Amino acid sequence: MNSVVVLILGFIVAFIGYRVYAKYVDTKIMKADPKRMTPAKMYMDGVDFMPTNRNILFGYQFKSIAGAAPIIGPIIAIQWGWLPALIWILAGTFFIGWVQDYSIAMVAMRHDGASLGGLSHKLISPRARVLLLSFIYFYLLLIAGAFGNVVVSTAINLKAAPMAWLFLTIGGILAGQMIYRWRRDILLTTIVTVIIALFGIWLGSVAPSNKIIGDTLANSRWLWTIVAFVFCYFAAVLPIWRFALPINYVASYIVFLGLFFGIIGVFILHPDFTLPAYTGFSIKIGPLWPIMFVTIACGAISGWHSLVSSSGTARQLENELDARPVAGGVMFVEMMLAVFALIIAGTIYASPSEYGAAIAKGPGGVFAAGVSKFLGAIGLSAETGRSYGSVMMIVLAVTIMQLVIRFMRIATSELLSDISPVFRNAHIGTIIASLLGALLVLTGWWQYLWVLFGGANQLMASLALMLITAYLMSEGKPAAYAFYPMIFMFITTIAALIYTSFSLLQKVISGTVKGEALVGNALMGLVGIFLVIAAFILASEGIRAFSRYRAIRSEEAKAKA
Amino acid sequence: MGKSQGKSGFLEAVKDFLYGFVAYGPAQLAMKTRANMEHLFILVTVGDMLGVPVFSSYYSLKLLPYMVPQIPTWKRRLLREKDFTDNLEE
Repeated sequence: MNSVVVLILGFIVAFIGYRVYAKYVDTKIMKADPKRMTPAKMYMDGVDFMPTNRNILFGYQFKSIAGAAPIIGPIIAIQWGWLPALIWILAGTFFIGWVQDYSIAMVAMRHDGASLGGLSHKLISPRARVLLLSFIYFYLLLIAGAFGNVVVSTAINLKAAPMAWLFLTIGGILAGQMIYRWRRDILLTTIVTVIIALFGIWLGSVAPSNKIIGDTLANSRWLWTIVAFVFCYFAAVLPIWRFALPINYVASYIVFLGLFFGIIGVFILHPDFTLPAYTGFSIKIGPLWPIMFVTIACGAISGWHSLVSSSGTARQLENELDARPVAGGVMFVEMMLAVFALIIAGTIYASPSEYGAAIAKGPGGVFAAGVSKFLGAIGLSAETGRSYGSVMMIVLAVTIMQLVIRFMRIATSELLSDISPVFRNAHIGTIIASLLGALLVLTGWWQYLWVLFGGANQLMASLALMLITAYLMSEGKPAAYAFYPMIFMFITTIAALIYTSFSLLQKVISGTVKGEALVGNALMGLVGIFLVIAAFILASEGIRAFSRYRAIRSEEAKAKA
Repeated sequence: MGKSQGKSGFLEAVKDFLYGFVAYGPAQLAMKTRANMEHLFILVTVGDMLGVPVFSSYYSLKLLPYMVPQIPTWKRRLLREKDFTDNLEE
């Protein structure tokens, strides 16, 4: 099968999904009203609530949700064959992904821009809010571990990556200094700092890390884990304008250019899939159902998007009609990003064994090899292209990681400051979050970590769908379009988390794993079990809320009759 | 709509998308940082409006005319129910 056929199929699914299904839900069920006041227009404080042009929000939403996950998931999931992975990416987005992103933005918008915690308090129960926030904390921990693993394995296996990452950091810090302290022109700052970052990418290809610091250090998992979490520590505790923000700003250009020219490269080369369409139901990491459905997270459906759509986007939409293109439309674009990643994994290797050897070292290498090949179509050398792909992978992972560590610091303060005021200290909270994340990176097998992260992420999505269903039921609107996806996601993710946690804990109990793997497996297994228990309690709260709304509706119907 | 208008509309949309992708987040954060400092100042000067007696009423009254436009926003920001998921962008 040719990759361009797959791309065209993706475009068709996106077109029908957006123009037919999404439009139907928007006009007939949600009944988006251009005259209804959005919180952005009602409050318009120029800070949290600010009506913003839909095209700007489109770019911002895409930037917020497109991280490493829509790329890594398909690269791993192709182990079951490219066909089931493609079907899940397309069908998942069509029936569930955009539904969640769009609907949670609408629900949050109609509740004064409330966050997920606020919505669960209003629509489900006060206890649901506390549980959801605790759930989110462990979910963030899994993100830190899974993405941290990606950064570390990329830094080890792609020796050009560290130098490129270093120069990106230097460029970012300089950008912060130039904009906020020296008050330099933004265009000049952008040109200078992006050139520094691009120079670093080239330099990485000619001065790999093993030539600078020797093979032992260049291959040291401990070293790169410390580097990654120290990076996140600075991002979490320093003023945001000094470190995290300007680095993310410069990195945005690197990512955008890489994706843009990479996709052009796919059209130029239009390679055929070389990996098999289907390899079998059960493979090493688990059975196709439920594991593949949580391995591909953000490319099909992702709970992370509900956090972004509720806390951010819903407070900036100037018109209810903008929710479909901004929240729903961007999910279809992310679907195409996942298809791009699937094409990378499925076309650049001559045989499954070659892919197998590459994926054993981590997904970063696969992605970098793919970017190298497709950027080569526009004239970039293979080594520079690989260096570019490796820093893209690190950037996509580390921008989310630093946000997560910062988030965990705030969450630690909020959840534990009643126990002891020491948890209010920014450094303590950050160190706790970083140590826990580093522990997972150093002790966990990365494929299990990814599945756990995916399971938690998708479970988060099913909880968001539960909120959407509760809202629809409370308003007397048809809820099937959210209810059935919620049931499917809940059952699938619970099954995936139980399967993975059981596998991990069985290895611990039976003594199959020893030393640091024992610690990693135990920690991952226990976190997985906690998430399952929290999800069941939340589901029971959700069922009670549904019964309440159903009773109210039937009483109203009786009163009318 | 003429061809040139359609073309300029498309280019405008691309420009807005790029701005949203690379610069909107940092611009928002800069405004939030400024707002945080302003609201802290308002809390110090007229915090007694929310039951927090922190400043002498002489200075509060002198500064009040300058702060009146921002007071509704400040009150809503401080009193609005929040949890840590609100800090996603910070």
